[in-house]
Amino acid sequence: MQLNPDIRVELQRTPDDASQRHQLYVQWLNARVGNPSILQLDVVWTPEFAAAGWVLPLDRFGPAKAEFFAATIAANTWAGKVYALPWFADVGLLYRRTDLVPREPRTLEEVVDDAQSAMSRRGGPRYGIVSQGARYEGLITGFVEYLGAFGGQIIDDRGEVVVNRPEAVRALEFMRDELYRTRVAPLDVLTWHEEEARFAFQNGNAVFMRNWPYPVAAMSDTAQSKVAGKFAVSPMPASGTAPAGHSTAALGGAQLAINAYTEFPDAAYKLIAYLTAPEQMLERAQAVGQYPTRPALYDDARLKSAIAIPLDNARRAIESATPRPVTPIYTELSEILQIELHRALVRQAAPRAALDAAAAKINALIERTGMRKLMAAASKA
Amino acid sequence: MRKTSRLGSEARLGWSLVAPALSVIALIAIFPLGWTFWESLHLHELRMPWLGKPFIGLANYAEIVKDPRFWGALGHTAFFTVVSISLELLIGLFLALAMNRVFRGRGFVRAAVLVPWAIPTVVAALLWRFIFESQGGIANALLVRAGILDQPMVWFIETATAWVPVILADVWKTTPFVALLLLAGLQNIDLTLYEAAAVDGANAWWQLRHITLPLLKPAILVTLIFRTLDGFRVFDLIYVLTGGGPGTSTEPVALYTFNALLQNLRFGYGSALSVVIFAITFGLALFYVRGLGVRLGGEES
Repeated sequence: MQLNPDIRVELQRTPDDASQRHQLYVQWLNARVGNPSILQLDVVWTPEFAAAGWVLPLDRFGPAKAEFFAATIAANTWAGKVYALPWFADVGLLYRRTDLVPREPRTLEEVVDDAQSAMSRRGGPRYGIVSQGARYEGLITGFVEYLGAFGGQIIDDRGEVVVNRPEAVRALEFMRDELYRTRVAPLDVLTWHEEEARFAFQNGNAVFMRNWPYPVAAMSDTAQSKVAGKFAVSPMPASGTAPAGHSTAALGGAQLAINAYTEFPDAAYKLIAYLTAPEQMLERAQAVGQYPTRPALYDDARLKSAIAIPLDNARRAIESATPRPVTPIYTELSEILQIELHRALVRQAAPRAALDAAAAKINALIERTGMRKLMAAASKA
Repeated sequence: MRKTSRLGSEARLGWSLVAPALSVIALIAIFPLGWTFWESLHLHELRMPWLGKPFIGLANYAEIVKDPRFWGALGHTAFFTVVSISLELLIGLFLALAMNRVFRGRGFVRAAVLVPWAIPTVVAALLWRFIFESQGGIANALLVRAGILDQPMVWFIETATAWVPVILADVWKTTPFVALLLLAGLQNIDLTLYEAAAVDGANAWWQLRHITLPLLKPAILVTLIFRTLDGFRVFDLIYVLTGGGPGTSTEPVALYTFNALLQNLRFGYGSALSVVIFAITFGLALFYVRGLGVRLGGEES
């Protein structure tokens, strides 16, 4: 099939490691390099690149925004314009051992109860809930899920920092209680990334796991997994005690944006439109298991064989996905939060004090970087 | 008259002969330093082009003074440097004294001792991380079996215990280097001094205090200067072992600077941090050379 025979595409390799790739992009764009014309962005980079003027707004090309999951478009929108289209989605999931907990828990409190009773059984797993608690970006994705479950936010819709409001404090206290009071989470998770959590769950040592969709394939393989056929995934539930709480999944994934310095913006957009078209998304799901960002595809029988979990569960998880704060200063904001959350979780600070400190530092960051002036100017333009 | 003009032409010749070397030094040492300093006087955030690159005088330095994370990092660096160097000097001296004796296989022992020093720091750090990391790790298994711990512990989530693998790894890796430097110093001591002392009835302890240590002082000071400057720049070991955590409670200044400069791409502020580290290490070197009279040329005074 040749839709655009006059457009020749060249691939350019970039580092796999996200922060190295980011650094490389920033160097290129500071030097106004127009190649590559299309940049693959992590979900939290789009506002930064948009505010810096490094990627083009896509509105003039008329993208069909309504055909994508709302959260994936929101994450790529800065000052009312969309700057990138979601290529594939990644989403935080709750893995559960179906042989130990047959019924999907409806609240976070039920998760803890189920974990405790499964652990106390004879021969039950050592750990209740395993997750990513080291001081890195993964800690923020987990926090965002608990935060939403208790109805909290990091930054609200008006741009105010609300990460030290009571809902957020309760969310952090709940996370801390899992380590020290209900003891369903081992202290080890405070040094863990995705893979350590996967090993624990895959070896049958945990009742629940918070992770991305990628381990499903390996864990379904009886040759390397002790839990093949014995686990299910669902969205993280909300807290049963917080009226404003809602089931929340952290949103990850890759976006495609147009380099502002390219000579070929129109050809670049044609390629982005092609790569984000339904057929292409299906093909990539079948080839490498990446989750489409178009809800309509989750009704398509062809997707069923491509991704390992029930389509309905996947769709529900992505529908409950929440972008991390959509702001150009995300990376530094995240670093502040990582440190303060980790301090609270290792008990160097009380949850309330840690979140107050985080809020104060984030406000200072907003001040230092002239964020309010920039947003006012961007919304006027 | 003639004499001065000849001296003048000799001086000119001398200058022209060292000019290439001087220009290389200017290019690779002075120019980058000057550039870094110039950069440190600006607000320059590579990620935030909307801020421009205004000249802001000493504002970055003012921010450093008010930055608790910087002062914390400085404290961690000093702590790491003092504790690890003290241990290395003590154990290194012991090893050097042992290796200085004449025994069979001395050459082999001297070479074998150097093995940890030959391992790249990042590899050594990964190794120690592996030993301490999980609850089923070697450190936990040994300590539980020896009855020192009731149950396995998570080393990296408390400040005090997170330092243990860091300091151990540094001592393990660097003590051989210290021992060899001290051994070189020991071999410069005239053996007849010991013979004379023995004839006068001095015991081994007296010999150590009144012959070995005083005569070893130049070697000890050279070791100190090397190790202090190394300690102040510690980066890779902690980057791999603790990442500066838990929280930021083991973060040294070099890691903080790396973070500001290369992770957050705050060129102005990061440059100011670099200048401050430079000033501190330069001050330390000056103190050793001027204050304690270390002679780096190696000749005795």
